[in-house]
Amino acid sequence: MIALLIANSLALASLLIMLASGLALIYGLRDVINFGHGAIYMLGAYLGYTVSLVGGFWLALIVVPILLALLGIAFEYLALRPLQGRSHIEVALVTLGLGIILGQIIIFFYGGVARSVDAPQILSGSVTVLNLSYPVYRIFLIIMGLGSCALLALWLGYTSSGLYVRAVSQDPSVARMMGINADRLSLLVTSLSTAFAGVAGVLAGPYLSIDPGMDVTMIVNCLIIVVIGGTGSIGGAIVAALLFGFMQVAGSVFLPNIAALVPYILLMIVLLVAPRGIGRGRVLN
Amino acid sequence: MSNRTTTAASERVAPLGAIGGSSLRVPLTLVAVAIVFVVGAVAPTRFAGDFALRLGNEGLLLGMLALSVAFLMNQAGLVALGAASIYGGSGLLFAIAMNDWNLTPMVALCVAFLIIVVYATVLGALIVRTNPLAFMMLTLAAGEMISHAVMLEALRDYTGGADGLVVSFKGTVFGMEAADFASPARFWVVMWVAAWLSGLALWAVGRSRLGAILRAVRENEERMRFSGFDTYLPRLIAYVLVNIVAAVAGLLHVLNAGFVSPESLGISVSTNSLVAALMGGIAGSVGPLLGGVIFSFAQDEFGARGLTQLLTGIAIVVFIVVFPRGVVGGLSSMAWLRKLGGRREAS
Repeated sequence: MIALLIANSLALASLLIMLASGLALIYGLRDVINFGHGAIYMLGAYLGYTVSLVGGFWLALIVVPILLALLGIAFEYLALRPLQGRSHIEVALVTLGLGIILGQIIIFFYGGVARSVDAPQILSGSVTVLNLSYPVYRIFLIIMGLGSCALLALWLGYTSSGLYVRAVSQDPSVARMMGINADRLSLLVTSLSTAFAGVAGVLAGPYLSIDPGMDVTMIVNCLIIVVIGGTGSIGGAIVAALLFGFMQVAGSVFLPNIAALVPYILLMIVLLVAPRGIGRGRVLN
Repeated sequence: MSNRTTTAASERVAPLGAIGGSSLRVPLTLVAVAIVFVVGAVAPTRFAGDFALRLGNEGLLLGMLALSVAFLMNQAGLVALGAASIYGGSGLLFAIAMNDWNLTPMVALCVAFLIIVVYATVLGALIVRTNPLAFMMLTLAAGEMISHAVMLEALRDYTGGADGLVVSFKGTVFGMEAADFASPARFWVVMWVAAWLSGLALWAVGRSRLGAILRAVRENEERMRFSGFDTYLPRLIAYVLVNIVAAVAGLLHVLNAGFVSPESLGISVSTNSLVAALMGGIAGSVGPLLGGVIFSFAQDEFGARGLTQLLTGIAIVVFIVVFPRGVVGGLSSMAWLRKLGGRREAS
């Protein structure tokens, strides 16, 4: 029972980690919260649906992140850079508007109905681990989630570009004085963040339903995670995503009546106890 | 030398002249405003059709929401994305108070209003101490929380779930019957007065000591704290104040429509009011109200083709990137927003 609970929450948290760490990465570099991240995730899911129909799930898992990385590059060049001089609130509002536009374009092409993607043959069905039968696809999700976590940690911890990202996140002006090109880093980070959103979108297909409301649901969840994790802290975001996933899964098991409210209750409690979140994020004021 | 003396002398004279002029100008302005008020209250009910009046009413309702969003943005530098939960929530509570708690309309109105004010105060107490960006995220989350709560299966008997609630009241509210509120012409007068009152109230607050403190906190919270000012309470008061305006709008909406739907709690209401505020310009009270009316007529034009949400998104981007001062505004620039941006690096 407990093992099942933890496994389920890890599966959910895997998706959330990919999305929330992408948000935290952009925030770290640009001080911008991308309110359009939910729409990018939704685009990933719908593109994943289309590509899966044509060439199968595995192709989608490769093609969609590449397409969305290109979108991220466009986002960086067309939105983030021209608006560099504007306040963070203004840029955040622009991303909100862009997210609404993107969401509406997706709905225009795909209509308002929910879609579903079948998991590939090898990932369907379930396996028995320690006398517990568990769906293979969720195990795959957990591996992907933890794997991307590990890759992210390796990149941030052991490469020079990761070091630069950490430096800029910690103190943008000093990092710039030391000769770090924040613009080039930001291009990398933005495309990485949207590519991760694409991976999450494709992975969400067989796990959750693909519907026109998924962007708002996901961005709200991610914002809660980012606030709980301490704005801008990637480690905090990962811990918060795990906590969030666990609370939501546990909520739907033990408190089915108010399961939808559990994340918000968690948020309110964290705000009461630690208004700046649990991580050591940079604080705006 | 002599040149400088003349300038100084004329400068000394100029204010005197201005005072002489304003002693006449103030009553004149007052008269003009009074004429606009009376004509605006009466003329549309005579000359405009029911349909246009309905759009006007919806526009002013949205305008009041826009007013609350704009006030907080302009005075406190905080962007609220949760106006819908207050707007829809107050209407829903009013319906519940009458249907389930068997209260008279007037008492139900007061109860709904009080509950919303308490909710706004508690929420505000939690979120106004965060930074502006987190505030924006949190208001969005809180709004979604309320719209999820309304859809809960356990509360379905109260809230009506996805079906919404019909609000039919017997008796009178402020001396008006249900039919009066439903009549577009009579409701226009109510709306017109409510919009003016809320506009004037927020304008007066903006000019008061509280407004000055809010703007100072917006510019530099740390410095205000060091100067011995409480930076928390003024922002909380402002947050509660704008939510009172939004709650009044929500109650008026329900009285007029006789129905409250879960859509009125949805995120699109919040984004619409943001767009209306940006369209009208966030400085002052006239802009947001006018922005609401413009939005309402524009929505009628484009809504039938299902383009409202798309245009809302485009409007947010265009008004922030290209016309940060809005259509009507331009009175005060968004320069503070830019300052807000530069501040972090400076400190």
